[in-house]
Amino acid sequence: MPMLENEMSRLEGKKAIRSYARKLSEPEVIKDLNITPMMDMMTIILVFLLKSFASTTSTITFDQNLQIPKSVTQLKPKLAVTVTITKKVLLVEGDGVAPINYGRIDPAMKRDGENGYYITPLVDILEKHAKRERRVAELTGQKFEAQLMVVADQTTPYRLLTEIIYSCGQAGYANYRLLVLKAKGD
Amino acid sequence: MRDHVEEIEEEAGELNLVPYMDIVTNIIIFLLASVVNQVALGNVNVTVPTISQGGGASADDTPPPKPPLNLTVSVGATGFTVAASGGVLPIIPKLPNGQYNYGALTSKLKEIKSNPDNLTETKANFNADAATSYDVVIATLDAMRQEDIPGGKILFPDVAFAAGIQ
Repeated sequence: MPMLENEMSRLEGKKAIRSYARKLSEPEVIKDLNITPMMDMMTIILVFLLKSFASTTSTITFDQNLQIPKSVTQLKPKLAVTVTITKKVLLVEGDGVAPINYGRIDPAMKRDGENGYYITPLVDILEKHAKRERRVAELTGQKFEAQLMVVADQTTPYRLLTEIIYSCGQAGYANYRLLVLKAKGD
Repeated sequence: MRDHVEEIEEEAGELNLVPYMDIVTNIIIFLLASVVNQVALGNVNVTVPTISQGGGASADDTPPPKPPLNLTVSVGATGFTVAASGGVLPIIPKLPNGQYNYGALTSKLKEIKSNPDNLTETKANFNADAATSYDVVIATLDAMRQEDIPGGKILFPDVAFAAGIQ
């Protein structure tokens, strides 16, 4: 009787070893991977990136006609109506307003001729923007800040800059944010 | 009956999220690449002086307020000219290499700022020759605003373009 029991336990042991060996040779296959947490995470990252992408001013295209100067300022740019001065053209919010030839606006575009400061199409278009911004400020109960962002090529002569700033002032804008490249820092 | 249940389960199935994940991953990689390549932008704030209405002669005996500093920095062909209510300082000439001497301008403004009467003054006017290029304008505004050292002293950050009129 004890011999039979010994034989049985030996067989059971062998069976267990074989079963374990089979288990080792066949790795477990993951059939249903739960990817929901990963998708949650990726969706959050996507929304965050889209938000940060939208809140920057990276839509400005810099080329050989628009190279902005460097500065040590640490102030971050804020969104405002953008006046862009390239070597060839003056733009408001990306729309061409007047051509620029060798750092000068065409005298025909000025109210007072060649020596004048008043750039008529610039004042006209900025007055429309100022009117819209005032209306928005009224509706939202905020103060009209009269802020403009000026993006100018580094070779722009001061005379042209003052003509444009004078015209912006005539349209009701008194505060200017000159966009620059940060030379150092963050 | 069992076959019917299996058929319903098969029809309902699991939503195949792999294409969605492909799209999301591609967008994330694109956005990350855009953010990495982004240039660091900053801004320099300037204003134009506003026209104020002059007050009439007052009848009372109150002493007149402290006269404003009226600091004005002009960029000329030969160098910087610094003027204030007290007078006009000698011109700060260009360096031998033809560059403007921004360091000397900052030192001069620091000297003016250190006067006890001007400690709280932050306003300055800016003017330049017609042909002065915009990068010189920005560099001069930097020199007027703060010492170019980490934690440098704030000098005259509220700059108004003298030629602008509202």
